[in-house]
Amino acid sequence: MRNRPLLRTSYKQELALLDTTSKKVAVGILLAAGVALPWLVEDQLLQLIGLACVAAIGAIGLNIVTGYAGQVSLGHAFFLAIGAYTAAAIAGDPDARTTGYGITEILIWLPAAGLVAAVAGVLVAPLATRLRGLYLAIVTLGLVFIGGHVINEWSSLTGGPGIGRQPPAPTLLGYDLNTGDAFLTRDQKLYLLMFVLLVLAALAARNLARSRVGRAFTAIRDRDIAAGVMGVNLARYKTIAFGVSSFYAGCAGALLYVGIGYFDPTSFNLLLSVQYIAMVLIGGAGTISGAVLGAFLITLLPRLIREVPSFLPFISNSPAESPNAYQLETVLYGVLIIVFLIFEPRGLFGIWIRLRNYWKAWPFSY
Amino acid sequence: MKRLGMFALAAVLTVGSLAGCRGGDSTEQGSSGPKSDIGITKEPCPKSEHKDRGCIYLGIISDLTVGPFHVLAVPITDAQKAFWKRVNAQGGIGGYDIDAETYVRDNKYNPQTHNEAYQEMKGKVLALAQSLGSPTTAAILPDMKANNVLAAPAAWTSAYAFEDNILESGANYCIESMNAVDYANETFKPKTVMAVHVAGDYGDDAAAGAKIAAEKLGMTFINVKTDSGTDKQAGAVTAIVTQKPDLVILTTGPADAAAIVGGAAQRGFTGKFIGTSPSWNQGLLATAAAPALKALYLQSSPWKSWASDTPGHKAMREALGSSVTPNDGYTSGWVWSYPMLAALKKAQADGDLTRAGLLKAAKSLTKVDYEGMLPDGAGNYAGGADGIFRQSLIYNPTVGSGGPNDIKLMKDYFTGPVAKDYKLDKPCYENL
Amino acid sequence: MKDFLESVLRGVGTGSVYALLGLGFVIIYKATRVISFAQPAFMLAGAVLTTYLVGPLGFFLGLAAAAVLTGGVALGVERLAVRPMIGRPVFTVAIITLGIDIAVRVVVNAAIGLDVRQVGDPWGLKVWKLPGGVQVEQRHVAMVVTTAVLIAALFLFFRYTRTGLAMRAASYDQEAALAQGVSVGAVFALSWALAGALAAVAGTFAAVGGSVSESLWLIALTALPVIILGGLDSLPGAVIGGLAVGTVQELTATYQGSLPWLGGNISVVTPYVVMFLVLLVRPYGLFGTREVERV
Repeated sequence: MRNRPLLRTSYKQELALLDTTSKKVAVGILLAAGVALPWLVEDQLLQLIGLACVAAIGAIGLNIVTGYAGQVSLGHAFFLAIGAYTAAAIAGDPDARTTGYGITEILIWLPAAGLVAAVAGVLVAPLATRLRGLYLAIVTLGLVFIGGHVINEWSSLTGGPGIGRQPPAPTLLGYDLNTGDAFLTRDQKLYLLMFVLLVLAALAARNLARSRVGRAFTAIRDRDIAAGVMGVNLARYKTIAFGVSSFYAGCAGALLYVGIGYFDPTSFNLLLSVQYIAMVLIGGAGTISGAVLGAFLITLLPRLIREVPSFLPFISNSPAESPNAYQLETVLYGVLIIVFLIFEPRGLFGIWIRLRNYWKAWPFSY
Repeated sequence: MKRLGMFALAAVLTVGSLAGCRGGDSTEQGSSGPKSDIGITKEPCPKSEHKDRGCIYLGIISDLTVGPFHVLAVPITDAQKAFWKRVNAQGGIGGYDIDAETYVRDNKYNPQTHNEAYQEMKGKVLALAQSLGSPTTAAILPDMKANNVLAAPAAWTSAYAFEDNILESGANYCIESMNAVDYANETFKPKTVMAVHVAGDYGDDAAAGAKIAAEKLGMTFINVKTDSGTDKQAGAVTAIVTQKPDLVILTTGPADAAAIVGGAAQRGFTGKFIGTSPSWNQGLLATAAAPALKALYLQSSPWKSWASDTPGHKAMREALGSSVTPNDGYTSGWVWSYPMLAALKKAQADGDLTRAGLLKAAKSLTKVDYEGMLPDGAGNYAGGADGIFRQSLIYNPTVGSGGPNDIKLMKDYFTGPVAKDYKLDKPCYENL
Repeated sequence: MKDFLESVLRGVGTGSVYALLGLGFVIIYKATRVISFAQPAFMLAGAVLTTYLVGPLGFFLGLAAAAVLTGGVALGVERLAVRPMIGRPVFTVAIITLGIDIAVRVVVNAAIGLDVRQVGDPWGLKVWKLPGGVQVEQRHVAMVVTTAVLIAALFLFFRYTRTGLAMRAASYDQEAALAQGVSVGAVFALSWALAGALAAVAGTFAAVGGSVSESLWLIALTALPVIILGGLDSLPGAVIGGLAVGTVQELTATYQGSLPWLGGNISVVTPYVVMFLVLLVRPYGLFGTREVERV
């Protein structure tokens, strides 16, 4: 058996979480690198990578409903907002101008944010049982616009546009994660928190995907009528997909702005939803690692692009002239997304599969 | 699983031993010259001709491409670059040139992007020559406070009166609107005042000022919120036409302002509009709304416009050259730079160009020399919220061709009775 | 009653701009089964081009030239960025169109410059008085007339020309059309060009009586509920949806003062509310084709 890693002798092996030795090693290395990172890179990068971890949690959530269950939702920003404001209200300062109950324990506000968002997801799910494809996408987009109107108006909760409020300040079992101390800086603590949560979220999603529920999702995605004929309860599983996805979105929303320490209601717009869809598509729909990769790429891409003009000294950095470095950056962001999807429609995960197959067959690769 | 754990442990240990890579902060104290820590080098600035001088780096984070304010932000940024170039040409600050070119970043008016750009330049700049936008600046304020970073804003919100790290200039929106209502009260005695404004600290702040003034002067106040986008002004126009206020205080973008004024006039409205400066653009005079604007529109302003005759304005026009299209974005960028210059000079005189030193110097300023662009008494940061500047002006921007060279001053710098007595104890928009 | 009538007239005027935008979306959808998020950028580009061309050419010629140019740009974009994606998942293509939107808008914003620009239309804010004191803005009449003319032209084109027939065939069944000698690639290109030109006209008319600034592109987003309301693949649906949304929006704007608890400027979200209500009853919009399901 040892030398035949792809030979399975039971169904259980086929479904194992980490089915090959190389996967085990790779995951081990990644985990170790992730844990070691706070002592390797500067705080400002760490903050960005922590943000990418949170984005990855949100992207995994969207991937459950879009990548696995095939229901494309442009309403992710709406659920992120619900999570963000639930958490901010629970953990907020009771004396501040905006609603707050002062419960900063992350073990309380994080699940609460997820649950409230999940309830909203379950309420929205009936739409998905009635609508399909682009209709569903645009209707969920409608949620973002209507939700946006509500949070803009509800300024006792959100502070109002342009004024905003503070996100929750996390404490874990009484240990303050929001300020630096002798051992760890604030950014190091927050990064570690985000990283651990990402690992937990990814593990849970992976387990869900290889369970009976996950297989039902895949069946619905591939052909919902066929799935229905085989006895998959469409309404039920679509509801579960929206609920779980929104739970992830709620948790991600709660954590999304903890690093910055401020957020305002105009952040939850069409662009945010689209970014999450882009994460899923660029990473590779229907895979957990793809969603994570996509989230990291989309979050880090602007940062990488900002380095580009320094290699092109002939581009003006005066914003009054055209073309200038800033226009180039923004155009590049759009163009890179286009180029990437044209040349690698299966996403980052597709590149990985191709690389793997190349080396697997080496030296007979073609 | 066990093997996996061992592996992880080994990796962590290896990596831990390499942990020296993370750089720490270092405070420099040269043998001569002022103390310094971050954002100051002994080496000359990258593009400087003065090879014998050191370099002070200032960052600029602005809305340069697709954000809603890039039309204003681009000239602001340009003027600031020209401002600091002029400072360098005049001898720099205590043996240092100022570099406001190397760290210029685009925030796309997104708090997240703003924060990223700030984090990126944080370790390399002494202070921010510009941090554009209120939600964006709010996203970096906690960190600025923790690290003693000073910034010149590009907004007039009253919340900045309470922030030591922000060097605001001129009257804030709230005071400006109070003065506008006072001016109207003096000239044509309105009975009803309506504030038509976009949401957020820009619009809300001005609306709150109008509300305070209206209540104080015994007028009826009506609050109308609108959104940006010329197709979204129907609600505002209807509110104006049906409730017929005598005075409308307008805080929107220029295209929306034209849609509102033009739409209301076309449906028979004859009251007056007073807009804040971001609501105006000279291009509006070529639109179909021009007759309405000419008949009904006045503009309040925190400082004098492009073509004014003061040493500061002249210096600005010279520094920018004749190739630029006149625009009050330039004026604003130029004015906002004076307090930073004053703070740097003060800190240098105190022999402490560290961030903490600069912040301390800024806090101790009781007046700033704006070279006549703002009257004496402006720039009292030592006075905190009580020291805010309370004078503004009223222009009629619609006379003649409407260019900034051809704009009529209705009332020079004044403080209305409401603004004079008003005690700013919290950001105005909280009163709305 | 006067208020009501005037609101309806204004609503029909702005609604016809939404209708033009909606038509562009639907034409692209029918050809390629994709919603093009690049339409907002083309709309802004068209309006900005008009502002430049109106000087030398006058309004009507300038508008026509801008429409042709924008159509050309859209055609080029289709050929470069969308054609390689035939057969790929529609959402991948949708995200690509978003990338296009970002890139095009940067260029157009640079072309707008520092001052708001004008399309130089002949109507401005002038009004005609109808009997009973009801006023109607000339620009709204112009919008309705232009839209009506364009719709009639489109109808004739689709109904009576060979190319129109080819486009209808391709939208009905691409493979069968291909087998009959229809160049499906040319249909795709033409669809994008048509949609680009319609967006340019819509953008220009959205700026009539007002001005062109970068926030103009937001108007195009209102076309999304419009096309869902009418049915994604229905040209009449886009027109009726556009007019309905325009009217509802104006009416809410007029009467929202009596509903203060809904918050300020509720009219902005009414298109989405209307869309929700319609979809609860008709999941494929008012006129959309119900998909035939086969396993």
